[in-house]
Amino acid sequence: MLPASLDEAVEALAAHPAAVPVAGATDLMEAVNAGRLRPAALVGLGRITELRGWRYEDGGTAVLGAGLTHARMDRPDFAALIPALADAARTAGPPQVRNVGTLGGNIATAAPAGDTLPVLAALEASVTLARAGATREVPVSHLLTGLDPLRPGELLTWVRVPLLHAPQVFLKATGRSGPARATASVALVLDPARRAVRCAVGAVAPVPLRPLEAEAWVAGCIDWDGSREIDPAATAAFGEYVAAACVPDGYGAEGAWEAVTEGPSAAAVRLRRTVAVLARRALGRALK
Amino acid sequence: MTTDHPIEALDAGLLDHAHDHAPQVSRELRPTTSYSLRVNGFERPVTDAWIGESLLYVLRERLGLAGAKDGCEQGECGACSVQVDGQLVAGCLVPAALAQDSEINTVEGLSAGGGASDVQQALAESGAVQCGYCVPGLAMAVHDLLQRNHRPTEVEARQALCGNLCRCTGYRGALAAVQSVADARAAQAGAADEAAAAEETAKAASAPAPEAAPAPVSEPVTEPAPAPVADPVDPVNDTAADLPVYTDGDAWTEHVPQPPAAPYGAPDGAGGYDSGVYDTTVLAPIRDVPAQPADGSTGFHPVQGHPGGQPYPETTPAHGTYPPAAAGYPDAAGYPQQNGYAPAPAYDGAGYDGPVYETPAAGTPLPGYGTAGYPQQSGHDGGTPAHGTPYVPTPPHGVPAGGTAPAGVPYGATPAHGIRLPEDDHAS
Repeated sequence: MLPASLDEAVEALAAHPAAVPVAGATDLMEAVNAGRLRPAALVGLGRITELRGWRYEDGGTAVLGAGLTHARMDRPDFAALIPALADAARTAGPPQVRNVGTLGGNIATAAPAGDTLPVLAALEASVTLARAGATREVPVSHLLTGLDPLRPGELLTWVRVPLLHAPQVFLKATGRSGPARATASVALVLDPARRAVRCAVGAVAPVPLRPLEAEAWVAGCIDWDGSREIDPAATAAFGEYVAAACVPDGYGAEGAWEAVTEGPSAAAVRLRRTVAVLARRALGRALK
Repeated sequence: MTTDHPIEALDAGLLDHAHDHAPQVSRELRPTTSYSLRVNGFERPVTDAWIGESLLYVLRERLGLAGAKDGCEQGECGACSVQVDGQLVAGCLVPAALAQDSEINTVEGLSAGGGASDVQQALAESGAVQCGYCVPGLAMAVHDLLQRNHRPTEVEARQALCGNLCRCTGYRGALAAVQSVADARAAQAGAADEAAAAEETAKAASAPAPEAAPAPVSEPVTEPAPAPVADPVDPVNDTAADLPVYTDGDAWTEHVPQPPAAPYGAPDGAGGYDSGVYDTTVLAPIRDVPAQPADGSTGFHPVQGHPGGQPYPETTPAHGTYPPAAAGYPDAAGYPQQNGYAPAPAYDGAGYDGPVYETPAAGTPLPGYGTAGYPQQSGHDGGTPAHGTPYVPTPPHGVPAGGTAPAGVPYGATPAHGIRLPEDDHAS
């Protein structure tokens, strides 16, 4: 099925609740090729042109279509709006994947290493879920953590992102220099209106993690009225703080033998180091 | 066998996927559809295909277009790259049923008329092809890049090709092909001057790719400098460019031509060293090598004007020029000995003036060692601990020796392996 409009797609999903909505299919077809998924029916969303762009709402909010591809988000006009999301889209994969992979698909798949997810979590975005005759608004974090999951027959249509007009940074550590899955990623946005720093760490847990205490602490260290300067030692300490908050001691420990040993596991030490460096650099770049 | 049970029906469905004569399974487990794909400008009907079939599978197995290769089925390798509606995609990640009404271009469509396209030709010429499995995907990626960007920079080309993995040759050939095609197309576009265009094309085609052609010998070989007398190649008249491809360790020549040096043992009468006249036209006395005396005697005479007994600088023998009897003369690595040109006697332990390694007398403290003559067990001084010394393992990285951090330095404050970059400090 290839509906040409949002209403048609929602009706098709209502008629076939077992059908799988497909946008870029980069995650879905990997599962199908590997034999992990046998879809009963497919509802292709590629023809719904209204979901492939974005619009503005008063109150400083951009409403992004779920069908926005990573390649589109990489373009300069979008990067001027939400730079961290553009950075995440740029590093999300090879061109073959970015050309078709969509923002909505990234959220709906909710892969641990999904690159746009920490950015959306740091931006405190919310998504619109549409089903036949009704829509509802859910924060991205609630959707990702399963607090308020996607229900059958619902379609992720819009992503509401605040426009902060302040530096945003997305950094990602991968296993190789080319496009690859993140071993850790950090999104950090400044919110000067609320005098807040919001940071989310991706790929270290099934969902992006927000080190709220570290955010509140570092926001108090920044001279918001002046040149937004911060002591480099505070930047380094922020990195350590974020790493300690997001990577538990027993990270990567397989069994009880490693769990009972004292101190963090080797994998946790390594990952904390990575996260600390990413967070420190992200804050440094945001305040530069 | 009954297929009432869903698991068995699923197995039957898998079999059906592999063998067409397998029993029919319910359409709920294996929903199929029929559609037509527009591939390279032709409408190609596909009937009764499972909806989960990828575009790659349909192209290869149902439509017989085996150009796109099946590498990973995960979108990692890029071997299955095709264009759908003018966009480069991984064919394995596109549900074929959703690609109906789209314009699909495969690598077969690149070579219109049966001949290779300029991209394919350039890939072949620049040595980007070895086993060839990745090349259809690479050709599509290069084609797609040059459609969108007529003059890609090196970085843009790398970014565009980053999704195509090649495990044989690397990517320099492909990058060279991008540049050569871009040059050739620019030359053709600016065809106001036909001759210039043709010349540039030829130039681009003949420019050797960094990995394509074996580079001519241009690097000095790290070997002992040979004596010109022993060199089979005249260093004055022959240059490196005249040499054929480097084949043997003996076929060595200097890149900076050296003046011919008269051999010390040359019986040339007035010019010989025996006359006591130092021939100033000979520039190479300190570089040159004493040749083996013609009579095979063991002695090397001190050079005139050179203080005897001093270390002779840079005496590197030619291969095989020193007498084998002079056991102490240059060692295998070509290091000169410290005793000038006196014939080195066979080592008897008495005349050796190198570093002395003596067994210390009992109780004699050696520098850096403990009073017992054994290395002290103090961690990292390099000594092997004595027998029975308790083993103290090396502390892990970042842990201060002794287990306690210095005052004021919290544990972990050390930046990991020096990756503290100046940009992070935003010290501006």
